[in-house]
Amino acid sequence: MKTSPKVQKEVIENCKAGDEKAFAEIVFHYQKKVFNIAYRMLGNLEEAKDLAQEVFISVFESIKGLKEEAKFDAWLTQIALNHCRNRWKYLKRRQYFNSDSLDDPVETEDGNMPRAIVDPSDNPETLYEKKMIQQFIQRGLLKLKEDQRELLVLRDLQGFSYEEMAVLLALPKGTIKSKLHRARVDLKGILERAAH
Amino acid sequence: MDCEKVRDRFSSLWEKELTPSEEKIVREHFSSCPECQKEFERFEKTMGWLRSVGEVEVPEGFLPELYKKMEERKRAPLGEKTRGRWFGFPLSLKLPVQAVAMVAIVFLVLYFTKMMPMEVTRLKDAQPPSFPLSEEKKSEQVWSQKEMEKERRVLETPPETPRSKDVDLAKAPVPREEKFEGAYVPPVKAEAKKVETPSSRTEIMAYQQIESKEAAGAKAPPPGPGKIEKGLTAKEKSVVASKPPQEIILRVSDREKMIFKLQELVKQFGGEMVTTEENMFLASLPTDSLSEFKKELVELSTPTQADKVIAKKQVTGKLKAAPGVKKEEVDEKSKEPAKLAADQESRTVVRILLIQE
Repeated sequence: MKTSPKVQKEVIENCKAGDEKAFAEIVFHYQKKVFNIAYRMLGNLEEAKDLAQEVFISVFESIKGLKEEAKFDAWLTQIALNHCRNRWKYLKRRQYFNSDSLDDPVETEDGNMPRAIVDPSDNPETLYEKKMIQQFIQRGLLKLKEDQRELLVLRDLQGFSYEEMAVLLALPKGTIKSKLHRARVDLKGILERAAH
Repeated sequence: MDCEKVRDRFSSLWEKELTPSEEKIVREHFSSCPECQKEFERFEKTMGWLRSVGEVEVPEGFLPELYKKMEERKRAPLGEKTRGRWFGFPLSLKLPVQAVAMVAIVFLVLYFTKMMPMEVTRLKDAQPPSFPLSEEKKSEQVWSQKEMEKERRVLETPPETPRSKDVDLAKAPVPREEKFEGAYVPPVKAEAKKVETPSSRTEIMAYQQIESKEAAGAKAPPPGPGKIEKGLTAKEKSVVASKPPQEIILRVSDREKMIFKLQELVKQFGGEMVTTEENMFLASLPTDSLSEFKKELVELSTPTQADKVIAKKQVTGKLKAAPGVKKEEVDEKSKEPAKLAADQESRTVVRILLIQE
């Protein structure tokens, strides 16, 4: 994983004992990763923040049940993915994403901005364009199936290895690879269709 | 390698996971297939965009908000906590519990919709035996009371009066019997609650008496006047014998002669000698001709000595069998013996005792 470094084993043990400082340290170390997974999976900053907080509450409530501290990362990611799946279903039931289109304005950290399909290769160095591309990709991700989005987020955005993904998703590496390829091709198709 | 197989290797090629020989084959295909070449370029671009997506910074105040939420959870009421906990339970635990609950609900619904009516009927059937008995008794009492009244009405009705329905029923025992067993019972049950029964036991006996009489009547309907000559059947005899006869005592000097005359007289009046013992005779006579028969009998006997004809008693079978029946009825019946006889039977048994001087 390319994100937050692993916390020390003692911190996890202290957190298990109910130490709030240890818990705060864990949150500090993993908040960005959890928040980004949530944001890429849900496409909404507020929902992502709320979900990430829920994930850490779940961690605090259930960390006593964690037997192997070495697997804390995978355990935490699993909790985050489960929360994302549940929240996605919840939001989908309430037709939260129905009006979503690649032409809709995109919510960013700087507020809503109009969508413009620009070939980033024209001027890839521009920050504005980068942000545009990011939002364009985000919308494309949200158009994918949930499990495909999960694969892309884990592998291409979070940098998980195939081995880690195989453990997290309980699937063989080969299956993950072929599914991931299908997800990438589908995303390419979505973005191309949106661009033309 | 065809286009499809080449395109399936785009991810591996882009991640440099293909073996050198495989990569060489794919690259050779690209040189010969510009379509696949273009397609891979677009794939590379998409992957470049995807990988260029940077991380979003966590909003400020993430941790304080998290603490706040945790505090709120701690203060949350117990009900909410348990509700939340239920959703947190694994499916392997929740499913059996839910299945058991469903089965329980189904059984309850079946019980309330299907079993309950059966239970109720079963309960109705299994009512304590005393209850239906008393109900029956009540109904019988009411019925007997009604029957008494009917009979009284029949007795009070003059022969000229057109018969009411009740009288018809009283006259025709068989249909009435049917009516009692069939359609008559349910209303009686209903009435039983309304009518107060004073005492019962005697009335029940009376009812039983009436019933037996009616049964007898049903078996042996009263013969018409023209049928008297045909004589009594064995059944009739038994019926007649079961009823106490009128008793006449004659004082005679010549027994043989008297017996002969007596037999002649009985025949003359359309009767029949039932039994003939030494000095006692039982004769069955039409009730209508009974009084004349008595007169003739007195004339036959010795005028000086046999003038005393004693009619000791004239008791109907009913009166004797049911001593508890109200006196009023007895009086009425004794006042109008002919009517009663006409209603109930047309023959009377006379016991004649000969006393030789």
